[in-house]
Amino acid sequence: MSARYGMVIDLDRCTGCGACMVACAAENNVPPAPPRATPRTGLTPMLVHKVTNGMEGTARREVFIPVTCMQCGDETPCVSVCPQQAVQVDKATGIVMQMPQRCLGCRYCMVACPYHARYFNWWDPAWPAGMEKSLNPGVAVRMRGVVEKCNLCHARLHSAKEKAAAAGRKELDPADYIPACLEACPTGAILFGNLADENDAVFSVAHSPDAFRLLARLGTEPKVYYKSGQAWVKALAEHHSERAKESKHV
Amino acid sequence: MKFSRRDLLIGSAGATAGLLLTPVPWKLLGDVSIWTQNWPWIPQPARGPVETKQSFCTLCDGGCGVRVRMAAGYPVGIAGIKNHPITKGALCPLAFAAHQLNWHPQRLREVRHRGRAASWGEAQAAFEKACGEGPVAVIDGRSGRAASSVLEAFARKQNGSYHVVLGAESEGLAPYADWSGVPVAALGYDLENARTVVSFGAPMLDGWGTPGRFTRLWSERAAGAADPQLRLIQVDSSLSRTAALAWKWVSIREGSETELAAGVARVLLEEHLVSSHGPMPQLSLAEVAAQTSLTTEAIRDLARNMVENRPVMVIAADGNPAVAALNVLLGAVAAPGGIGKRGEHLQPRAPSEASIGSPRALLLDSTVPWEFVPETAAEVFRFAAWDGGGNKADWLLPAPGFLEELTDVLTAPTSAVETYAVAMNLAAPAAEVKSAAQFLLQIDPTLPVVEKVIQARCEELFRIRQGTVYGEQPVAVTKFESAQKLEEQLRKGAVWMDDPRRLGGFRCELKKWPSGNAVSRGTNWDTAWAPPALPALATKLYQESNLREPPAGRKA
Repeated sequence: MSARYGMVIDLDRCTGCGACMVACAAENNVPPAPPRATPRTGLTPMLVHKVTNGMEGTARREVFIPVTCMQCGDETPCVSVCPQQAVQVDKATGIVMQMPQRCLGCRYCMVACPYHARYFNWWDPAWPAGMEKSLNPGVAVRMRGVVEKCNLCHARLHSAKEKAAAAGRKELDPADYIPACLEACPTGAILFGNLADENDAVFSVAHSPDAFRLLARLGTEPKVYYKSGQAWVKALAEHHSERAKESKHV
Repeated sequence: MKFSRRDLLIGSAGATAGLLLTPVPWKLLGDVSIWTQNWPWIPQPARGPVETKQSFCTLCDGGCGVRVRMAAGYPVGIAGIKNHPITKGALCPLAFAAHQLNWHPQRLREVRHRGRAASWGEAQAAFEKACGEGPVAVIDGRSGRAASSVLEAFARKQNGSYHVVLGAESEGLAPYADWSGVPVAALGYDLENARTVVSFGAPMLDGWGTPGRFTRLWSERAAGAADPQLRLIQVDSSLSRTAALAWKWVSIREGSETELAAGVARVLLEEHLVSSHGPMPQLSLAEVAAQTSLTTEAIRDLARNMVENRPVMVIAADGNPAVAALNVLLGAVAAPGGIGKRGEHLQPRAPSEASIGSPRALLLDSTVPWEFVPETAAEVFRFAAWDGGGNKADWLLPAPGFLEELTDVLTAPTSAVETYAVAMNLAAPAAEVKSAAQFLLQIDPTLPVVEKVIQARCEELFRIRQGTVYGEQPVAVTKFESAQKLEEQLRKGAVWMDDPRRLGGFRCELKKWPSGNAVSRGTNWDTAWAPPALPALATKLYQESNLREPPAGRKA
């Protein structure tokens, strides 16, 4: 049976510590940013935004919104615009795959993505002398001149598949496939699993009244859900572009 | 046949048009795009056997358990240990890239004498000469470790002095130590049993204490709930990260925590909200309101909120005695959910001596925060793994970096329960490094050896037959066959934790309401820990996002 891997991020639990961003970069061999890199030109497959409710004084509230590739459904904007077939939705997992070897760096997909979840690799990957020994051997270094995004730690999916195959199992053990951001979150704000499995915890949370998706009106069917009990936070989901003006980096 | 210029042009145009109809130019374009992205000088990950080991982060005194993925003998990935009884798998953001710190450009790779390269032999000769000419003072950043016993023993043998630098979180416990006589190192916060935590400026959800301990509690018992099991009330002059997420944020004028504490105490006593009797603060509620910019009703509300959901504990960002006195009034000292005294089975920490005097030589261990620069005319020998810049030390001596040194990890300063763990030297040092203890052992081979001290401590744990060892599965110490087996488990990354104990056994009494802003402690220095260098990927936090301001004086 095909899976639909996705996640639910509980915004009421996110403290904005940024552990998910650092763990993601370390796992995927993302190099340190050059001094001139900015939030737009840097490479952050997981990027946490700080957003306020726009009020002042003691009525002011903040929320931290981790934004990553939304792993859209069949109507995936980036897939439809790519001239190189460098983006595909894996039917077996639902993961939107990015193949840097095919990418020409035209950046159509970045324009098409309504979530700003794609990044162009402006610089050759470079580390201080010796630091290449600390790179993850399971993942290639990021190529210059191509577009990057979250692939739900695809290397970990491969490892889990190999482990299942070695054990003679057809199904993955959910404990073997845990993305780095989820593993790093100190408050357990990220829930990950198979949205096609009604018995999976992520399924019931994704269908709870407090769950919502960013820009759901566009019909991109994201597989990344958010959850919050606060009305103003839920309102951000559909007014993303307006709120973005307050957060200078969104 | 004559080949004219016209024929050449026709032939060229035809060839060009024909070539464009073949896949060759498009294939070449694609290949060039790939070739230009994969030059030989692009770094490639190391190849070699992959294994996973467990150890402990020693960058600060939180003592978090880390699962280390190793490839070709080098750490290539860090994650938390789910079975760790305190951190439960949580780590701070910096820990996830800490394995890259050993290759940081600021890594000290050679001995430096006043800015010039020198050798270990020269440093040793200079230190021995200085020791022969006068007294020596040794400063430690984390007392009680096996290495600390080497430093202390050396200082004693030389008729010198041994000093300890306390972290900011320990300073928050200093007033209770002054009032009760219990050393700061034996006090901790029983957060797990508290139902209301009132923070006076302490960044409870932003790096306070052991990473993950309070955030995990908050996440499980408070986050997003309108009436949470654990109420976090944050008193802060600005909308800090903790204030933004707290159940209630009390916004006061900057620096008026002492006055607010007095106002709250007055309400607690006047409205008989507490059973204990304490000295009434001199400030009236109106005066407090004027100084804190709160209304009198807001102060009353805060006091009532504090006692609605007990046990309640107040936590100060520093050693403010007025804030600490609230805990005495609320009965939160030596009580569940309050300030507790933990066991001291293993590490009776040496009291710090009052003054470093006028030593001939001053030795600073690598655990001493980089900002700590003692005012002294002595020749300074400073051990450090990273050069934070602007240092006045005469000698900079390269110390082991992340996971490069065998050391024991003691109870975190804010913990209410005693723990003990052993961090193994998993990574080969990136340069010729020595810890201060190794350096002193070369000078005086009769000093205790770190390995032997750790072994003796494991034997002591086995002898007292108390507590549980948290490895893959929790195992009571009484189940171990021998001290060697216990030590073996600890060296594999397990952590020993004392049994839960009654939190009584000491008493704090207030004779008058404290008015000062800080407790006077001549024996220690207050400093916040900060690494001299940040992991390279810390740019994600302050340069490639809007999460944090760039750190002053720090480079990633």
